Amino acid sequence: MSDNYRFEEEEFNTQFNGKTLIRILQQVKPHWKWVTGFLFMIMSVAMLDSYLTYLGKRIIDEGIVPGDKDALVQIGALYIGIMLVLSAGVFGFIYLAGILGHLVQYDLRKKMFDHLQQLSFSYFDRTPVGWIMSRVTSDSERVAQLVTWGLLDTTWGIVNTITASVFMLLINWKLAIVVLIMIPVLMRTSVWFKKRILVEFRQVRKFNSEITGSYNESITGVRVTKSNRREEANLKEFEVLTDGMYNASYRAAWFSALFLPAVQVISAVAVGCVVYLGGLEAKTGGMTIGGIQAFVAYITFMMWPIQEMARVYAELQRAIASGERIFSLVDAAPDVTDKEGAIDPGTLRGDIEFDDVTFYYEEDKPVLNNFSLKIKGGETIALVGETGGGKSTILNLLCRFYEPKSGQIRINGQDYRDFTLHSIHSRLGIVLQTPHLFSGNIRENIRYGRLGATDTEIEDAAKLAGAHEFIVALEKGYEEEVGEGGNLLSVGQKQLISLARAVLAQPDIFIMDEATSSVDTLTEHLIQKGMEELMSDRTSFVIAHRLSTIKQADRILVIEGGKIIEMGSHAELIHQRGHYYNLYTRQFRKDLEVKYDIFKTSEQKVVGIEKGAAEESLPDAVGL
Amino acid sequence: MATTALPSTTSFDFRTTVSDNRLKALWRMMTGFRLLYGGATLALGFAAIFKTLTFLLLAYFTDEVLEKRDFEFIGLVAVGFVALALMEGGFTFLSGKWAARTAEGVTRRLRNFLFDHVQRLSFSYHDKHQTGDLLQRSTSDVDAVRLFLADQAIGAGRIVLLFVVNFTAIALLNWKLALASVVVIPPILVVSVFFFRRIEKSYEKFQEQESVLSTILQENLTGVRVVKAFARQQWEMDKFEKENFEKYKRGRKLTINHAYFWPTTDIICSLQMLGGFIYGATLAIEGEISLGTYLAYAGMVVWLIWPIRNLGRLITQMSIGLVSYGRVMEMIKEDRESLVGINKPPHGEVKGEIVFDDVSFEYDKDVAVLHNISFAVKPGQSVALMGPTGSGKTTVVNLLPRFYEYTSGKIMLDGIELKEYSKEFLRDQIGIVEQQPFLFSRTIRENITYGVSREVSDEEVEVAARAAAIHEVILTFPKGYQTLVGERGVTLSGGQKQRVAIARTLLKNPRLLLLDDATSSVDTETEGEIREALQNLMEARTTFIIAHRIQSVMNADLILVLDKGRIVQRGIHDELVEQDGIYRQIYDMQARIETELEKEIASV
Repeated sequence: MSDNYRFEEEEFNTQFNGKTLIRILQQVKPHWKWVTGFLFMIMSVAMLDSYLTYLGKRIIDEGIVPGDKDALVQIGALYIGIMLVLSAGVFGFIYLAGILGHLVQYDLRKKMFDHLQQLSFSYFDRTPVGWIMSRVTSDSERVAQLVTWGLLDTTWGIVNTITASVFMLLINWKLAIVVLIMIPVLMRTSVWFKKRILVEFRQVRKFNSEITGSYNESITGVRVTKSNRREEANLKEFEVLTDGMYNASYRAAWFSALFLPAVQVISAVAVGCVVYLGGLEAKTGGMTIGGIQAFVAYITFMMWPIQEMARVYAELQRAIASGERIFSLVDAAPDVTDKEGAIDPGTLRGDIEFDDVTFYYEEDKPVLNNFSLKIKGGETIALVGETGGGKSTILNLLCRFYEPKSGQIRINGQDYRDFTLHSIHSRLGIVLQTPHLFSGNIRENIRYGRLGATDTEIEDAAKLAGAHEFIVALEKGYEEEVGEGGNLLSVGQKQLISLARAVLAQPDIFIMDEATSSVDTLTEHLIQKGMEELMSDRTSFVIAHRLSTIKQADRILVIEGGKIIEMGSHAELIHQRGHYYNLYTRQFRKDLEVKYDIFKTSEQKVVGIEKGAAEESLPDAVGL
Repeated sequence: MATTALPSTTSFDFRTTVSDNRLKALWRMMTGFRLLYGGATLALGFAAIFKTLTFLLLAYFTDEVLEKRDFEFIGLVAVGFVALALMEGGFTFLSGKWAARTAEGVTRRLRNFLFDHVQRLSFSYHDKHQTGDLLQRSTSDVDAVRLFLADQAIGAGRIVLLFVVNFTAIALLNWKLALASVVVIPPILVVSVFFFRRIEKSYEKFQEQESVLSTILQENLTGVRVVKAFARQQWEMDKFEKENFEKYKRGRKLTINHAYFWPTTDIICSLQMLGGFIYGATLAIEGEISLGTYLAYAGMVVWLIWPIRNLGRLITQMSIGLVSYGRVMEMIKEDRESLVGINKPPHGEVKGEIVFDDVSFEYDKDVAVLHNISFAVKPGQSVALMGPTGSGKTTVVNLLPRFYEYTSGKIMLDGIELKEYSKEFLRDQIGIVEQQPFLFSRTIRENITYGVSREVSDEEVEVAARAAAIHEVILTFPKGYQTLVGERGVTLSGGQKQRVAIARTLLKNPRLLLLDDATSSVDTETEGEIREALQNLMEARTTFIIAHRIQSVMNADLILVLDKGRIVQRGIHDELVEQDGIYRQIYDMQARIETELEKEIASV
């Protein structure tokens, strides 16, 4: 999570923004009944609380001083009554505000998550995952806190201060004015301290994430450290961090430790004034003993609501910044959307045409320039060429993950922007080199391709994709959990499962981007036939370095610098002795080296000892 | 202040603090801070006393000034209130300050120790422990220990002290009243401990759900291509909705628990307060206590009752803190590998003659990884190791820097057994280039100079980078040598990382060189450049090469073919191609590939 932290802290110093605050408050609009409820509860609690203190005065003035035991009983009964009502109020506001807090967070998260599903690829290209994660997790929490507990604490503080002031004014207005003068001083001091402490804690968190990062590298890079004998130098560097952490934490604790005493001393000055002036008043009978006691109690407890208000105020800025970031996410508009009146064509089978397509991710770096290509329905196209040449971009455009900046892509003669996104995406079958699985078991992951598929269909798809065999060998078979992101399986196994998933989808267009690069040769061979059959009546696009896959293609395109530099069947291109010929021979040698690797026959694994070496070391794909 | 100077942060050995009794171990861990922490506790006691004195002053004020209508010293009394607040505040501040010093000081020392500990633990330890686990112990568990000292222990201490001081004061004023005021303390304490234990569990469940949600979100974001490609937005939204709602439900449960606890205990505490008030008032009416005493009592009793509710929270948190502490302790207990040898390191330079004499190695007991390995290398020569995965190639080279200790036989460096050298000295003589080199997220320059402890001039760094054929590449980065590895927008390819690692090793200038599969994962384009860089590196150094291909090993002075931990073939290239065996099979394969390629092309 240390990465997420950094995203959380940016833009912290945004100016106070009233509009955002209003928009934040609007989040609770649908739950206005809850808000009214807890505000009512907290107001009652604050008022009754002050009244209980006033009852303390009455015990003295009406009970003890005149020696009236009956009055004591009466006051006691009243006390119990009020206390029960008060407790009901406490229950009410904790219940309402607490639950509403979770509800608001639930709403915000839902809103963000649902919106994220609509956003286009370009948004995810420029927005780091960590940034989005902290919007959905921590920012939503901060905003929810503000509109519930923040609102509640502020209301409590205000009402409590006001009622206490009213009671004081009722007891003795002259003294009360002296006390009221102290309130702004208390408030200012509290805000100053709270802001200061917040700044220090931010510093602490920054150091904390650096320390975590440092530990992480120290653990994962331990081999390099040991072999270079860097232990001492590393420790010295680390000590700089812990020193910084120490100083920041110490400063934060120092300010926190000073805060309460400072506020208490200010209150004590008020108490001193009350004792002195109140005493003089008492001399003339203008003040009772109970009155003085009540004043002392009011002053002592007044610092709590003021502290709470100061806290909310200090955190307000942060919460507004959180709100701004949440709204920036929710307001982001997808680039690729359905045009008005977009239709579902019913099928994507048919001819595909790239007509004079230009595309770039960044304005000054064009990837495709006036690219044109015609593909007949059912054709199998293989794309080869260096990384960064534009192969993946062509497929991204074809899938309409992005749209051409100029030019058209036509399916069956019609601009594909006339179709709905859903009608296109639901008819594609895509398998990527870095396969992505979701937590859950294997069956669920394959079913992702077609939600209504039966278990038999799932297994048939797995058989066709060559995944069935390894799946049934697993302890729980299809019910085996794949782990977070599928990381309990090897890359090759994940590729086979994502292939099965695409097969199950029964797509009109099949797209494989290095789909089986980590699958061993034997398995690759096994699935060859099934795949051929599958691709025979579908338009298929293949980026691969496997020669067997490429050779089967109806047409091979060599892409470089966003252009088709060679095009033709395998035989034609070999005879040309051009780029394709070179790529092909290079890959051919590599393939055979792997195939004839005699070491393969006597594999023996020793867990733990050859960590690095045990990892798959596959021939790297140089374009093919 | 008795302890202004902080004890040195690194010299303290936490292993001396290990004890089965966690509290005892914690006490030992506070060596050097005990006085300070004791001072913090003492200051708390004083703060509590001054707080109580404030109420006694109020009693005096009522009885002697207001009741007797003697206003002579009223000014003094007023100043007295401020003075007592200053004393109380001063001690509260000192206590907070000293507790923070202790907590932060002990934690800093612990963090430094653990960091050093991690990099000095043996490889066998690292092999057996997950990064995430070690990371959690050194960060969040350490923080739990810090909280224990900074907040929980001192907070509990404060509550106990407040209780003791106020109870004593009330008892001195009237012991019956004192006893009558603490009736509900035991049940409140029991209820709050019980409640917070429960809350802790609910909270854990709530947090678990939070991480479930995070996982879904993370998978959704990283798998955005898959989601879009299968048009599964609605499905994803439903999935998120389900778990999001579950989190709401758990949050609601947590809230409801709180909603019951606080008002219920409010009622109990308030009843106790009221009971005390009425009883005290009756005593005052009957003249057993003065009005002033009643007022003082009314002030003090607040600090007797209300804080107790929080004691339950602190007790629960402290028990969690101790569990964390136990986890840290488990890590501290582990032995470090000793870098200092038995004998003094030899004078002068190492020549680099290596002899393996009947060396065997067991990784775990009875699981032999190497059997009776014997061979010899002269200074400056190269040895190539070939063999399938798991044949023991990497293990052989891991024995040289003593990452693992061989279990029988002898390895000699310049005629002296390896175990006689300190690991410190040995590792200075050895450079390693691995298949997937690890670079740190520092600047490229810092990565290159990582292996040398002295100051290095820019020229030296550049010379190394040039020899490793990476200089030109580095210059294409916007910040050149100051580019951070892993910075957004700059990605080093596998081959480039490899060459940075080679530059690092060149600069270190070791006598012995271990190349662990250094070229196999690199694409053909850069393979030539790396090969050349490696040639530069191998010059005049004793080199061990682990490789798969004939080209990488054919020039070696000795080639060893390993299988299942044994040497199955040895010799130089010319001899081995003449022999029947694995080596010739590999060699023949290359020729066969060329013929097949010709055939293939011709058949088109």
